[in-house]
Amino acid sequence: MRFAFTEDQLFFRDAVRDLLDKECGPDVVRGAWPAGPAGAGARSPAARVEAVWSRLADMGALAVALPAVGDGLGLGPLDWVLLAEETGYAALPHPFVETACVAAPLGVAAGRVATDLAGAVVPFAAGADTFLLRRGGELVTVAAAEAQVSPVAAVDGALAAARVQAGTTGGRVVAANEDVERAFDRGVLGTAAQLVGLSQRMLDLTVAYVRERRQFGVPVGSFQAVKHRLADALVHLSFARPAVHRAAWSITHDRPERGRDTSMAKAMASDAAREVGAAALQCHGAIGYTVEYDLHLYLKRSWALAAAWGDAGWHRDRVGHAIGV
Amino acid sequence: MNVVVCVKQIPDPADPGALEEDHTLKRTGKLILDESDSFGVEMALQLVDKAGGGDVTLVSMAPNDETSGLRTALAMGAAKAVLVSDPALAGAGALDTAKVLAAAIGRVEGADLILAATESSDGYTGTVPEQIAGVLDLPSITFAKHVEVADGTVSVQRQTELGYDQCESPLPAVVSVTAGVVEPRYPSFKGIMAAKSKPVDQVTVADLGIDASAVGAAGAGQQIVEVTPAPERQAGEIIEDDGEAHLKIIDFLDGLKVL
Repeated sequence: MRFAFTEDQLFFRDAVRDLLDKECGPDVVRGAWPAGPAGAGARSPAARVEAVWSRLADMGALAVALPAVGDGLGLGPLDWVLLAEETGYAALPHPFVETACVAAPLGVAAGRVATDLAGAVVPFAAGADTFLLRRGGELVTVAAAEAQVSPVAAVDGALAAARVQAGTTGGRVVAANEDVERAFDRGVLGTAAQLVGLSQRMLDLTVAYVRERRQFGVPVGSFQAVKHRLADALVHLSFARPAVHRAAWSITHDRPERGRDTSMAKAMASDAAREVGAAALQCHGAIGYTVEYDLHLYLKRSWALAAAWGDAGWHRDRVGHAIGV
Repeated sequence: MNVVVCVKQIPDPADPGALEEDHTLKRTGKLILDESDSFGVEMALQLVDKAGGGDVTLVSMAPNDETSGLRTALAMGAAKAVLVSDPALAGAGALDTAKVLAAAIGRVEGADLILAATESSDGYTGTVPEQIAGVLDLPSITFAKHVEVADGTVSVQRQTELGYDQCESPLPAVVSVTAGVVEPRYPSFKGIMAAKSKPVDQVTVADLGIDASAVGAAGAGQQIVEVTPAPERQAGEIIEDDGEAHLKIIDFLDGLKVL
């Protein structure tokens, strides 16, 4: 059995990492926030925020799991899990998981997709072209124009969240029965991977900060209390990441334990993001609370995603149910 | 039209670099495409597109058989690559690099134009493109910001301090491209998958008919005697504002000749 990612998978990751590094800096994430006190600081114009999405589409990153006709590559979660991690690292202000990981394998290629599979508050609803909605035991796609969208104030302003209502008829059925659960698990996995990426970003930001910030004549990172706090954060992250990769393997091979593994991944990734986020905020001191500083962009996304697609407690219950405790 | 692009695979500048005992850069880990070369690759792809046919061929050299940097450029759309890979090349200087690349370019049939970056991001000698032209006895134009090819002639806007010179040369010619003058495309996923099966002609210096003792550390004719870290940034001057501080700032800027 091979446990490492393939050369292609790593090249895909590097290509997306390079693109997001150049095109989706914190100024672009902030550009997706509504203008106002909470979105204060260096922000890019809307055109640059939009350009990230079209560049990802041009690269083929959004069609990676689309059935292999036309633009689709017909690949699976092991091929996109690292991409989801990178979109988390960048706090991409677009619905990558919903569009590329959840809807694309169902053959849905209709622009930006938002879904209520994550919960009643639908992330990225405001800019969506298509909604993927639960109806009874089925999933239907509904064009954005045919749905009623009521914006909701979310902790992360870049998520453009809303409640979405559509009629009880119309739309196109794209999944039923177990395929609905499979779609849900893909969303959970993608979100868990994003949380791992977000945790890595917050840790990187913090390590860079405590190396530079000096007190008593030395960098604050040289103090044991700071070192140990960040080492603990790294331990949490290092335990969550393999669980996420394992879940990608289980879903790719449609294993019977895929639900258990996916829930394990989301529970651990959510916990890790909370631990890393708390450590990052504390080690930054007062600057961490400043809206013009970038940390809050990643911290608030991690809070929002830790609660979406089932929080850590919900997923721990699901793991418990799966193993009979 | 066939364009050859000289590219260099370098250690990732994002990672802290390390030096070997002989003070040369450690190149043992993964190497990436030098970003300054991506402009030449993009320009070559655009020229071939515009000409309506032909290939972009990469030419590179490395002390080990690393190809991941080449793969990035192949994924962008280059058709094939020649990689001179030989341990004898470790510690190569600019002139022997030029000799080896010139010999490798000789393996590419029907090269109309040879592009290179102005300088690499790890060595910064900035002399290799002109040396290649010298070895091949070809005309050379440096610091290109815009390149057009028509009727066997290359027209180049050559960047200068004040603007640009308009230069022309018959083909084949060697042109070095200034960084930032085109926007390199991102490799597509389909390009990444296709790049795996593109031919990489891997050769040694012996295959090129070059004596191994004439290249690398042995043939460089120069030696790095000592390396010292860059001096730490000094603290700036602090001016107490007694109501006249703006005058001191103006003096400071005047001293820098920015006013």
